[in-house]
Amino acid sequence: MITSASSAVASPAQRNRVTLRKTLISCAVLAAALLLAIVLMSLLGSEQLPVRASLCALASFGTSTCGLSQDQFDILFQIRLPRILLAAAVGGSLATAGAGYQALLRNPLAEPYLLGISNGAAVGTMIALVFFGAIEWTRPVLAFAGALLATLAVYRLARGRAGATPERLILAGVIVTTFLSSVIVFVTVMMDATRIRSFTFWLLGDLSGTSKALLPVTVVITIAGALALTLYARSLNLLMLGERDAFDLGVEVGRVRIVVFLVASLLVGSSVAASGSVGYVGLVVPHLARLSLGSDNRISIPAAALGGALFVIVADTVARTIIAPRELPVGAITALIGAPLFIYLLRRA
Amino acid sequence: MFSACTPGKTANPGATREITDDAGRRVRIPATVDRVVSLAPNLTEIVFAVGAGNRLVGRTSYCDFPAEAKAVAEVGDTLHPSLERIIALKPQVVLVSTSSQLEVFTQQLQGQNIAVFVTDPHDLEGVFRSIGQIGEIAGVKDQANLLVQKLRERTNAVEQAVKQKPPVRVFYQVSGEPLYTAGHDAFVTDLMRRAGAASVTADVPSAWPKYSNESALAARPDAIILPSGGSMGEANSKVAEALRQSPAVLHGRVYRINDDHLARPGPRSVTGLEEMARALHPDAFGK
Repeated sequence: MITSASSAVASPAQRNRVTLRKTLISCAVLAAALLLAIVLMSLLGSEQLPVRASLCALASFGTSTCGLSQDQFDILFQIRLPRILLAAAVGGSLATAGAGYQALLRNPLAEPYLLGISNGAAVGTMIALVFFGAIEWTRPVLAFAGALLATLAVYRLARGRAGATPERLILAGVIVTTFLSSVIVFVTVMMDATRIRSFTFWLLGDLSGTSKALLPVTVVITIAGALALTLYARSLNLLMLGERDAFDLGVEVGRVRIVVFLVASLLVGSSVAASGSVGYVGLVVPHLARLSLGSDNRISIPAAALGGALFVIVADTVARTIIAPRELPVGAITALIGAPLFIYLLRRA
Repeated sequence: MFSACTPGKTANPGATREITDDAGRRVRIPATVDRVVSLAPNLTEIVFAVGAGNRLVGRTSYCDFPAEAKAVAEVGDTLHPSLERIIALKPQVVLVSTSSQLEVFTQQLQGQNIAVFVTDPHDLEGVFRSIGQIGEIAGVKDQANLLVQKLRERTNAVEQAVKQKPPVRVFYQVSGEPLYTAGHDAFVTDLMRRAGAASVTADVPSAWPKYSNESALAARPDAIILPSGGSMGEANSKVAEALRQSPAVLHGRVYRINDDHLARPGPRSVTGLEEMARALHPDAFGK
């Protein structure tokens, strides 16, 4: 922003350096905010923990109890912190995937939830739960497969002779979403009554069942996915000019498309397998990133990843404290914030 | 409670009486009822227990007790009953357990001259009331009163036995992941109190709240009740992760009790009451 006047005459190398600096600065600020949020939100919950002792225990990375009772220590490190880390991973994944889809499909409304890709992952997870209930790793694997299939279906449906217009893409997303929703309804009705309640909660996005086994996998996939899409950000920038122009500028369009689809599906799959369908994160966060930092994907993709983590951590803290000791599904909170913001952004556009 | 029955109980087929249901509706019921559809397993159990099983012409897929119930025609499950099938069975009264989906349902059924009677017990007293109401509807009031009297005697015996015992702090786990429990409005919360238990979630609003893991951990219950092994199968036979270090688990005080005895507000609820009391206070029963 400060360099906008000089960049008009700057060389490409200088411009790249400016972009890199802007990326690093905005990411550093967001990372600091994320760290702060992790600490502050772990002080909030349905149970009141002593603030000073909790901060001390957090600062010691759990090596010292700092006078917390065993129960308080367990609440902080076995329940709250894993849940906050999962919220960060889910938010980071969904926002990164959203930013990726939006750049690749050149459509600001592309979002895993609205395109039906989250539903594809949800169907995959349900199949894993029904047929391989005890084998946890089948959930992210089948969720990934479901997300990928849904992505391909939407992409195929959206591509008319005139290419994929934004309207066509959203319509294709609506078709896939409603089709997969009815598959989900069918599966829930077929399942026994006692499991329906937990499923309906999970479908709205729920972070309370943080699985110790899946948490590290989800975190690693988020970080790797965000880095991968950031590395492809320059190609995505060129793709936003149009596929033919990008091709002429040396972008291997086919390969970029496959990589982005695979990575985004992996991100959506792992987050849905861990938490159900948390909506609107992939829409709201990349938009805010572009509004405040510009549309260069080299900046907006990593910023969306960090911002998404921040957004879902805060939303989930609301979900688990607002009617404590009862809980709301986090997806209800993100939708409550996301839907009005979506309408606002739509009117602005 | 019961509002005035029309006095002239003659064999006039057009005669009706009015009974107030748990939704506060005054329901017009034919003077003699011989075709009833039940849309909940606890209501099916009550119909059979008061000796009116031969008048049941329709039941849900969840209604599996007593064994004779399975011979009755199915009309779908509690949440998705088939209106067409119900109407085809020509019942005079349809018994439902909550007021969910009631509006559309009632209108369509009343259009066919079928009465809809709602039961919604929040405690054991409410169950006794349901039994009385259903007995009255089916014209077997005396048998229903006799049943209620016997159930009251068994309930009193349990309450007398545990009266001197300090209540055990109990966590009632409806499901482990996600964690659901029984709140203030749940029928089983009253059952636990009578069994000599103090539910740690007795004051949580609503009937079946989704509960915070950390609050469950902080509650440190001395016993955990896992309703499982009935129609729930083994789905709820593991203690939630947040409760694995609780005094209940450390002292081996986790009790699996048939979920059909605890989750169905009917005659077998008293069996559930006895099972809970014996599990929590074994010494109070001389064994």
